[in-house]
Amino acid sequence: MSIPIYTYDAIIVGSGLAGCAAARELQNAGKKVAVITKLHPLRSHSGAAQGGVNAAFSDEDSVELHEYDTVKGSDYLADQDAVEFLCKNAPETIRWAERMGAAFSRTADGKIAQRPFGGQSSPRACYAKDRTGLTLLQTIYEQAYRVGVKFWDEWYVADLIYKDGKVSGVIAFNIRDMHMAIFNAKSVMFATGGYARSFKINSNAHANTGDGLSIVARHGLPLEDMEFVQFHPSGLSGNGVLISEAARGEGGKLFNSEGERFMERYAPNALELASHDVVSRAILNEIREGRGVGPRKDAVFIDVTHLGKDLIMERLPELRELAITFLGLDMIKEPILISATAHYSMGGIPVNIAGNVRKNNTEYVEGFYAAGECACVSVHGANRLGANSVLEALLFGRYVGKTMVEEIDSIELRPASVDDVQTTLDEINFILNNNGDETIPGLREELQQCMTANAGAFRTKETLEIAVAKVKELRARFKNIRIKDKSKVFNTELQEAIEFGHMVDYSAFIVESAIARNESRGAHFREDFDTRDDENFLKHTMGYMDKDGEISLDYMDVVLGKHELKARTY
Amino acid sequence: MSTSTITTQKVNFKVFRFNADEDYLPYYEDYSMDVTSEEVVLDILNRIKWDHDGSFSYRRSCRHGICGACAIKVNGRSTLACKESMSTMIEYFGNELTIEPLSTKRAVKDMIIDKADFWDKHESVNPYLVADIDEAPTCENLVSLHEAEELNEADLCIQCGACHYACPVTEVNEDFFGPAAFAAAYRFESDIRDSDTDRLKAVNEEKQGVWDCVKCYECAEVCPKEINPIEKITKLHQMSFTSGIAKSNVATRHAVGFKNSIEKHGVLDEGQLVLYSEGPGIVKHIPVALKMFKKGKIIMPWNMPKSDNLDEIQKLVKSSSTAKF
Repeated sequence: MSIPIYTYDAIIVGSGLAGCAAARELQNAGKKVAVITKLHPLRSHSGAAQGGVNAAFSDEDSVELHEYDTVKGSDYLADQDAVEFLCKNAPETIRWAERMGAAFSRTADGKIAQRPFGGQSSPRACYAKDRTGLTLLQTIYEQAYRVGVKFWDEWYVADLIYKDGKVSGVIAFNIRDMHMAIFNAKSVMFATGGYARSFKINSNAHANTGDGLSIVARHGLPLEDMEFVQFHPSGLSGNGVLISEAARGEGGKLFNSEGERFMERYAPNALELASHDVVSRAILNEIREGRGVGPRKDAVFIDVTHLGKDLIMERLPELRELAITFLGLDMIKEPILISATAHYSMGGIPVNIAGNVRKNNTEYVEGFYAAGECACVSVHGANRLGANSVLEALLFGRYVGKTMVEEIDSIELRPASVDDVQTTLDEINFILNNNGDETIPGLREELQQCMTANAGAFRTKETLEIAVAKVKELRARFKNIRIKDKSKVFNTELQEAIEFGHMVDYSAFIVESAIARNESRGAHFREDFDTRDDENFLKHTMGYMDKDGEISLDYMDVVLGKHELKARTY
Repeated sequence: MSTSTITTQKVNFKVFRFNADEDYLPYYEDYSMDVTSEEVVLDILNRIKWDHDGSFSYRRSCRHGICGACAIKVNGRSTLACKESMSTMIEYFGNELTIEPLSTKRAVKDMIIDKADFWDKHESVNPYLVADIDEAPTCENLVSLHEAEELNEADLCIQCGACHYACPVTEVNEDFFGPAAFAAAYRFESDIRDSDTDRLKAVNEEKQGVWDCVKCYECAEVCPKEINPIEKITKLHQMSFTSGIAKSNVATRHAVGFKNSIEKHGVLDEGQLVLYSEGPGIVKHIPVALKMFKKGKIIMPWNMPKSDNLDEIQKLVKSSSTAKF
């Protein structure tokens, strides 16, 4: 079997905001670059972002306030040098996106419009109606395409070529026909998105299976802060599809089965506009104590009927549409059913501000970079501030692209060999030919149920121990799978099996990191340790996986700065 | 669904199956399922794959109507699977549903089609803002609310292809760009920041361009995001006259002939309209013309009535027309 080797200066894996932004920089600098994506680029999950993207450029706002809100939101786990870089460069980045064609909503005097968001000192979220991510994704893809970036769409990246502290390409196959190829490159960037898909109730796309994270971890490289998964307060009951924070921002009220506006008990001042983690836990607690509503009693009501038809149609039209489609409920006439949903991944592949991937606390991998939700810089720490995710992806994607341009000439291309594909071949052959009696949908369902029940918004040592055991059990049972589809054309069953393997691997990091963090910080809430413990845990978790899937943990210092540690109240 | 109950009913599905790797011809597989009032069409595709046959394949990602991957046809009607409630489908078509890809002749595997033609056409209209990009801007372009509105939601198109594969012209004319590509062309042509000079010319060429649209409104009917592509096509017609790049051909002369008739009489003179549009080619219409004459549809020039206040109508036409021929 002959496997072609394609040689590039740079390979970008993933075609969302981060991937496209980096690729455009490389192409403009005259480098030979390609983007590989398992979807079409315009299907990337960046396009699903609704509410906005932060940039402090109004007269009442300042970069320093943006930094402060971000650091406070992070429960002080964000690295302040990275936050400073993010906030300082946000205005230019947003205006650059506008110059490329992003269709932002406008103020009466023609400037980019901004709206208020939770946890922010000033209206700072630039928006394009309720589809900010969509216009940004379209724009950055269009402009990357315009300058000639080569996209390999519907190609699945299965492995990283990593040896001796250096990355020199990836192994991928064409989903259309299973033809495999080696992409040999001086540098590789991962921009592969988040990992909330391992929870049953989540807001993420089917594609968000965290492939990049597990591929990295299987080479013995670390993953950072994996225990921090943000649970958004308002996912649609049953399926977790997101109802943007705008619903509460515009005045939505939450009620339990007794008709009580229960946030009065949990956050008497901020009520529904307390931070994500506070509202999410309040909702889940109401349900847990038997005051849930809906056919499964697994939701609470959000009521916006008092806003009136005109305002709802003007400001929340897409949200109304979603509730009608999925619940058959019209929020103009009646309250709708929501509950917390796994939404955003704060943890990921550890990188420095320039995007270099860490090999450990002090060393970096040569020729390897990451940006966007799959990366952990860390600008979000323990809890991401609303409207910072799209900003991070676009901004760091672009700047990491610039880093790659600068460093590429000093990197020597290590020629790939056919041996590099062996791991991928073994993985595919195992999945295609193994004749066990477990099914992927069955195992995946068990994983997701277990993660939501035991490693969700509320965690204790006991529940996490159940999750740890379950993940180990599923890893073992994965060896006993069988798939029906043996064909080479769009073998989506094979792909789901590979993706499930990734989900099991990174889930082990989530639960092992969570069980060791004996405190509550941001999105990580331990009922048995319900306060923040700066003395022992003001530090990043660095997890490593060995060949048997065992996780070992190390810790790395947080970069502190001018924003001093305080109790976090809203 | 009400807030307290989920209803369930039995639905029989006839599902298109084909694997280009293994099958000589496509076939249909039957599945019978209890469908709840909470489910959308994508849930059914997932259940077929996860509960019945792992080899069943389809594209999907976001699952809430924003990525555009999962467009298919239900009982011949294009739809976005993740955004179409099963209750609606049952209401429209009853409990016997046929699930097919957007284009059976382009099927590669089950619901997955080769969309190369769709993307080729998309790329033919320079689908990006043509402008010198300031890489380090200190301010944004100022775009007034009115100018921003000019996009008419064309930027909400998610390239799902529902309209492209519902369009009867794309089905028979392989050069035709199709409604989605025209919507993309309009999105940038209507953007005050764009300075492209080729796009509008490309969409004005015969066979590939907007003048070959037959105005059936199928694109508007099936669009899951209510983009209304035919409206964008009409606006491109107008833009081509305004910018003076419209060329004289049957379709453009049809539009101009319409205007001429209104200018002259205040009402439509159908005979003259055809004569103006077709020129000498009109001889091929003689049999039809004779029939129309018998039914009184063709009025002799000396009998043509005039509208009241014709001078007012003429002033309006004069002030709004941009046609050069």
